[in-house]
Amino acid sequence: MTLDILAGKQNPDGGWPYVRGVSWTEPTVYSVLAMLAAGEKQRAARGLRWLRSVARHDGGFSPQSGVAESTWVTALAALLPPEELGRDAHRGAIRWLLRTTGHESTRLYLLRQWLLGVPRPADQKFAGWPWTDGAAAWVGPTSIAILALTAESRRMPSSEISQRVAEGRQFLLTRACHSGGWNHGATDALGYAADAYPETTGMALAALRGVDAPAVRRGVGLAKRFLADARSADALNWLTLGLMAQAEMPADFTLPDGVECRTLPETSLALLIGEARKGRDFLWV
Amino acid sequence: MGMKPAPKITRRELLAASAAVSLTACRRAPLPIAPARVSIVRAPAYDQRIYDTVRRILDEHNLEVRGRSVVIKPNLVEFEPESFINTNPLLVHATAEAFRARGAASVVIAEGPGHRRNTLDLADAAGYFKIVPKFEDHFIDLNLDDVTQVHLPRQFSSLGKLYLPNTALRADLLVSMPKMKTHHWVGATLSMKNLFGLVPGGVYGWPKNVLHWAGIAECIADLHAAFPRQFALVDGIVGMEGNGPIQGTAKYAGVLVAGSDPVAVDATCCRIMRIDPYRVPYLQLAIEGADARISEHNVRQSGEAISAVATPFQLIPEFRSFRLENG
Repeated sequence: MTLDILAGKQNPDGGWPYVRGVSWTEPTVYSVLAMLAAGEKQRAARGLRWLRSVARHDGGFSPQSGVAESTWVTALAALLPPEELGRDAHRGAIRWLLRTTGHESTRLYLLRQWLLGVPRPADQKFAGWPWTDGAAAWVGPTSIAILALTAESRRMPSSEISQRVAEGRQFLLTRACHSGGWNHGATDALGYAADAYPETTGMALAALRGVDAPAVRRGVGLAKRFLADARSADALNWLTLGLMAQAEMPADFTLPDGVECRTLPETSLALLIGEARKGRDFLWV
Repeated sequence: MGMKPAPKITRRELLAASAAVSLTACRRAPLPIAPARVSIVRAPAYDQRIYDTVRRILDEHNLEVRGRSVVIKPNLVEFEPESFINTNPLLVHATAEAFRARGAASVVIAEGPGHRRNTLDLADAAGYFKIVPKFEDHFIDLNLDDVTQVHLPRQFSSLGKLYLPNTALRADLLVSMPKMKTHHWVGATLSMKNLFGLVPGGVYGWPKNVLHWAGIAECIADLHAAFPRQFALVDGIVGMEGNGPIQGTAKYAGVLVAGSDPVAVDATCCRIMRIDPYRVPYLQLAIEGADARISEHNVRQSGEAISAVATPFQLIPEFRSFRLENG
């Protein structure tokens, strides 16, 4: 039934919207993954064609066809298997990810700060990924980039990829909230401690799969508490993925009543998680 | 902390600072400028009386919206069922109904929160689904709306151009409905700062960090200039003081403040909060030297006098110098 909803929302151009309207890269990537998992090859192929149409000359992907910039969605495109996306497009996405960092980690910015005598803050010592070029790194895009690069490194081990993944994970560990878990990436604002969010906590835990650190253990504890209270499909999806990555998903967990998937990424991810719980992984294949 | 880059003095800031100094010296000789009308109306609680109050406010401003499209932009920030972070849904519904009663062809509620991606869940937690019948049919998530690249007309910031949501760009009237709150980076967040929610997260992410790098005050002034057809209605019934816009504490002020000139409305709100509007950087930029634009004498005020409703909003130490004299 849910797959029917997803199929019915595919735009004539082959892509998918978030809710309605024009096609965007994020819902299209998740929908294509769900279609591939369900064996709906034709629908997936149309989605993949649309995705290749938003690939840019710099190797990145734009978030929708009307936007002439490569953004964080490049990491989402790189989550797709190269044989499905197209090897050239996939290689371009991986290269874009490897050369992209938050602005605070660029050589030019570091040189400027050094000349101004501004010391590098502890939470800026490791490079993560930004939402858009020229902005700082954040937990969401960093987590997705780590997932994409980790998958690539399993296909084709490379020290360059391993190094960026390791640094990205350090970035996440330094951005953990004081009371545990992760928000978008600001642990403090003007000296006041900031609180964690369920969805970003789940994303960071997924990206920190296999990492043993106090921040991860605190994050797992908080994710379990969030899981008991969350009523948002987005939050529940990412908490589930994060706890599965950490092998900490409570076996007896059932979705609470009344949780609605209100966007297509939520619908697609819920489908993919259902498959993953049956042993058909899509993030860690 | 990665959200806000290290402070730097840009040429524009230097110019703004020089302008502020000159303007302070010139305050006694204001430039001739058309007065702006601002209403201050007492609203003791979020109850059914609000529907009539909002209708009276729109009547007073004689807003001609017959056959036009109206986009109402509340401020949705965080998951919380209480009323002091997000614009109250009853007030938003009352406003939508009042515009429909005035003959608007379409009235939609639209918002693009800056931190949380699941906007509909956020609106649900804030009570919008309960209060606004068929909420999803009347709501547009501006973070995920179709976009058009716009050259910013004033260029206060270094952005130059910006992708903006078509729902807001095509509106005949954009109604900014913020919560009256203090803000830990710009002093106060009101109808102009509320326009940050127009910037699409689907393009720029969560948070919309490009705006921080390009200068928060400058981007607020840029967005204000990009939307010339606005009406502001500020939810000051219960606002927020201290470490706003999220971690502050509830502050009762019991007022609604409204008008067609968001700059004058925000300056009036500042005075109610006992904040000096001349110290708020984005107001300083938006008036572009026309000091009289936010002079108390130049605001054609109706309803309550500022002195009758003024109540000092607590400020964090970084903004104590913003306190209005004798506040």
